[in-house]
Amino acid sequence: MAIAGTSDARRSLGFLSRDTLVKWAPLLVLLVLIAFFAVMEPRFLSIRNFARILIAATPALMIAVGVTFIIIMGSIDLSMEGTVSVCAVIFAFCFIWLGGTLASWAWLALPFALLVGAVLGFVNGLIHVKLKIPSFMASLAMGFVGTGLAMVMTGGDRIRIEDEAFRALLTVRWFNFPIMVYVAGLFLLIAWFIQTRTTLGRNFYAVGGGEALAHGSGLNVDRVRIMGFTLAGVFFAVGALLAVGRIGIAETATGNNFMFLSITAVVVGGTALWGGIGGVWNTLVGVLIVFVIGNGMVVIGLPGYIQDGVLGLLVILAVILSTDRKSISFVK
Amino acid sequence: MSVETFKPYFPWITLVALVLIVGAINPAFFNLGSMVTLVADIVPLFIMALGMTFAIYIGGIDLSVQQVANLVTVVATVYLAQFGIFVAVICVLCGFVVGAVSGWITTKQFVPSFVSTLATGFIALSGARYLSGERALSMSAEARDASFGWMFGNTAGVPHELVIAGVLLAIAWFLQTRTTFGRALKAVGAGELAAVSSGLNVDRIKILAFALSGLFAAIAGLMFSVKLSGGDANLANGFLILAIVAVLVGGTPLTGGVGGVMNTLVGTLIVVVIRTAMVYLQVDATMQQMVFGVILIVAIALTIDRSKMGTVK
Amino acid sequence: MYQLNKVDKRFPGVHALKAVDFTIGRGEIVGLVGENGAGKSTLMKVIYGAYQPDGGTVTIDGTAVRFQNPRQAMDHGIGMVFQEQSLITNLTVMENIFLGFEQQFVRFGIINWKEMAAAARHQLKKVRLDIDPSTITAKLSFAQRQLVELAKVLTLEERIDGDLVILLDEPTSVLAKEEVELLFGLVRELTSRASFIFVSHRMDEVLDLSDRVYVMKDGEVVDVVTKADAQVDAIQRKMVGRDVDKEYYREQKQKPYDPAKTLVSFASVSLPGAYADISFDLHAGEVLCLVGTEGSGREAILRTVFGLEKPSHGTVAVKGAPYARRNAQEAVARGVGYVPRERKIEGIVNGMNVYENMTLSQMGNYASNGVLRIAEEKALARTWIDRLAIKTPDVYKDCGGLSGGNQQKVVLAKWRSAGSDVILLDHPTRGLDIGAKEDVYDMVREMCDDGAGIILVADTLEEAIGLSHTIIVLKDGEFQKRFDGSAGGKPSLFDLVHHMI
Repeated sequence: MAIAGTSDARRSLGFLSRDTLVKWAPLLVLLVLIAFFAVMEPRFLSIRNFARILIAATPALMIAVGVTFIIIMGSIDLSMEGTVSVCAVIFAFCFIWLGGTLASWAWLALPFALLVGAVLGFVNGLIHVKLKIPSFMASLAMGFVGTGLAMVMTGGDRIRIEDEAFRALLTVRWFNFPIMVYVAGLFLLIAWFIQTRTTLGRNFYAVGGGEALAHGSGLNVDRVRIMGFTLAGVFFAVGALLAVGRIGIAETATGNNFMFLSITAVVVGGTALWGGIGGVWNTLVGVLIVFVIGNGMVVIGLPGYIQDGVLGLLVILAVILSTDRKSISFVK
Repeated sequence: MSVETFKPYFPWITLVALVLIVGAINPAFFNLGSMVTLVADIVPLFIMALGMTFAIYIGGIDLSVQQVANLVTVVATVYLAQFGIFVAVICVLCGFVVGAVSGWITTKQFVPSFVSTLATGFIALSGARYLSGERALSMSAEARDASFGWMFGNTAGVPHELVIAGVLLAIAWFLQTRTTFGRALKAVGAGELAAVSSGLNVDRIKILAFALSGLFAAIAGLMFSVKLSGGDANLANGFLILAIVAVLVGGTPLTGGVGGVMNTLVGTLIVVVIRTAMVYLQVDATMQQMVFGVILIVAIALTIDRSKMGTVK
Repeated sequence: MYQLNKVDKRFPGVHALKAVDFTIGRGEIVGLVGENGAGKSTLMKVIYGAYQPDGGTVTIDGTAVRFQNPRQAMDHGIGMVFQEQSLITNLTVMENIFLGFEQQFVRFGIINWKEMAAAARHQLKKVRLDIDPSTITAKLSFAQRQLVELAKVLTLEERIDGDLVILLDEPTSVLAKEEVELLFGLVRELTSRASFIFVSHRMDEVLDLSDRVYVMKDGEVVDVVTKADAQVDAIQRKMVGRDVDKEYYREQKQKPYDPAKTLVSFASVSLPGAYADISFDLHAGEVLCLVGTEGSGREAILRTVFGLEKPSHGTVAVKGAPYARRNAQEAVARGVGYVPRERKIEGIVNGMNVYENMTLSQMGNYASNGVLRIAEEKALARTWIDRLAIKTPDVYKDCGGLSGGNQQKVVLAKWRSAGSDVILLDHPTRGLDIGAKEDVYDMVREMCDDGAGIILVADTLEEAIGLSHTIIVLKDGEFQKRFDGSAGGKPSLFDLVHHMI
């Protein structure tokens, strides 16, 4: 949606401070927000409250991390709501069918759910790459298919997961934080590892930075794209599992609202929609910004209706601060 | 005659083929009366998609339309008693302003429209929730009929909603094809840098395109509000994605410069035919969403013109 | 060693390569010259595997090969050093060097960054570039990027056992003189391992470096000369197909300008990062040419006149008055027309038809209250199609589908029909064939006769000299020297080059 200008050289002459600001702007916004809420209401800083923020944020974090890879490539994935629902529902069915408790073979439902996520992402990538349909449309339609599939499987019913071992994700706390926070942390590290230490991760940046050039260097861009969507699917599945773990229910609506939430978080974190810049840490900061706003406004007792508006304003502010205007000539 | 010649007509061909297939399987589909009702029912969606077309035509997107419509349903309901029919002016102005603000943020602050319109949508939603006091409001039937009863009448069997849609379509089409503004929109969508080098005021054109999108969304919201005789901050939910789908299926790609309002007419009809066809063909209610998604992929794969795309992102 | 035999390549409507024979021996440096559009770039693309020839054969050491993509050519030891823009700027230097070949540093799916950095350092040493391989490429200067490009190609040394053929496409266009010498030194050293094909516009450099020179014209190799026999004049004659004479640049039609009528006046104008303290006056009927290397500030000056850049110092007056709001709209309203270098991106709108493109800058003249009078637009387009002999089936043809020369005519028609009398030409003949170039030169003279002033950034120095009344030489954004280029008293190429670098 934006065209890179030709001022790279000029940028390297100076603007170092501007560069630094652009890089750290999202974190700055987060810290200012935390400081603001802490001053308004000291209870905001309690560990209990942080645990609350993190519990709410973990499923969205996983989904946002998944879509981060896609956005780095300069594409977009809007299929997360459908994928999350399908993964959640299939997981719940398998889990109950295999015994209904983690102590039995039912644990197999966990990896199976991740596999389902991978398959959905793979199909999404295939449709996008092989049929040459822009990812926006391909993934949007795949999202419909996913939500529809979940609806077909559940017939609109809710599936409850009451296994204590699985619900321990939420109920058991280590050092004041429930296990699901650590699980999300682990997958965040995995994502970071993929981003920095694997060929695939680096190739996302190459595709986002210059697809034609990457192709000219002998990179199989189609393959990178399909793998990217597959990987995103796996992270959506992790998000689905955490979402089920949080409320103990799997249903068609499990995936609701994740689409705009996760993309907002990614963008607020400083990953540019036109690709090539950003990463999973940016996304962590972005997700925290979104959830700190939500939680903070409740804690300091602001009416609910203001929340959306403030979020909207902060999203604009964060993006303006973290955009290097010198390097783009126009935006649509 | 090569495939190239037909390309611009792919959406039309898809529509006709769809109608024929559904009609062949279930002839009841061809009943004129039910068809008119069917089409009249989707007028608000169509109007929303019509506005969205302007944003997509210049290569952007407007994700705020649903929230603008929500806001307008509340505004219309709250102020109907006070201003009567002139509440329409306030509503339209609301939409125009929200759209213009999105456009300003996009062009002057370099925030991609995907984000800026999402954000202004949040702000509009806040406004709607505040104004409605987080309740579902309803209009007094009397005031509604006095000011806006004409919207839903019938003249010679033609629902007035259709007339409104037709007039708006004609205006949008005239704007797009016959005015300097429409020409400038096309230039911005197809080659923004060339438009700049030709001395066009590109920023103003872009801001206006978003403002128009908001304006049409407001009209859609107003019709909603009158139709359902009330306002609520969630009334128009679910329409955003359908409006986008209608524009894209019609053959206006996200890259801009191609397609236009006529395509959106086709796109909206395709979406509606698919949705209703599932009822006529007795697709199980739980299956509908999935079938819709699959057909959508097929329809998009058939209708989009790939010759103008360099790399597919 | 590497040979092309009677290679043919056709595109719709163009016979790009006509039975081209080409050989390069072990350790040889071969120059390749020709005008834009002579087929050099097509030939190079065939060599490095981006295009597949329609006829003829490609052989390496006598064995026939056929490359489906650049990757396969690389596997046969053929590498391409692109012009500076082909590095992915958001990646680190080492990632760019090994892009697509990361697998050698991967153990159990993990990239060993240390190992890659060491390997990259080894490659960078070959080109004497002492930078940290984990630097983000965007932070490098253009000259450094050019050397990284070369280092990237030199990874073939380790990867391929056989001989290497390395193509250098305009490698010196962004380099300063010392950097050019460094590069040439490197290339000569590396001939122990590789052969080079060197493509450049700078004839002196080609003759300096190459053992043999291929001269191309209209898709054919018209001559092959060895270093000993090479003469600049003779080669240039071959390239153009006849003497580069006064006629070619329509010098006989050059009339003196009107010094009393000033159209644009630059007084000590500076734009930080682009140029500083530039002054000149453009008069009616004058062609003023800005000469300098890439990055000397030529384009920025054009963009300033068009209102797209805001200078920090000095005054820019167009027709006697400075801009009030300084934007392109105002410039167009004052009668300034801009013919940008990137014709397909900035010149025409790809996707709009001929008449839509022609009236884009002047829609107000063809509209009443914002409603377009389309019939008049079409009439205008037909007039100009006839007048400039634009080859298009009708006025409804998408301009993106026209040939380069005809696109350029549409752009020129857009400004001339609107009555613009300050025309800014940025590389107006880039990528055009000879006939189209001559048409453009004719139009330049006609516009001058009509009293327009033209600021030109030319594609070649010869063009600059041939067309202009006044030449201003720039270097690194600073004024160097002003030459008078009246018909009959033109400066020589070497006068200019001396001040450029």
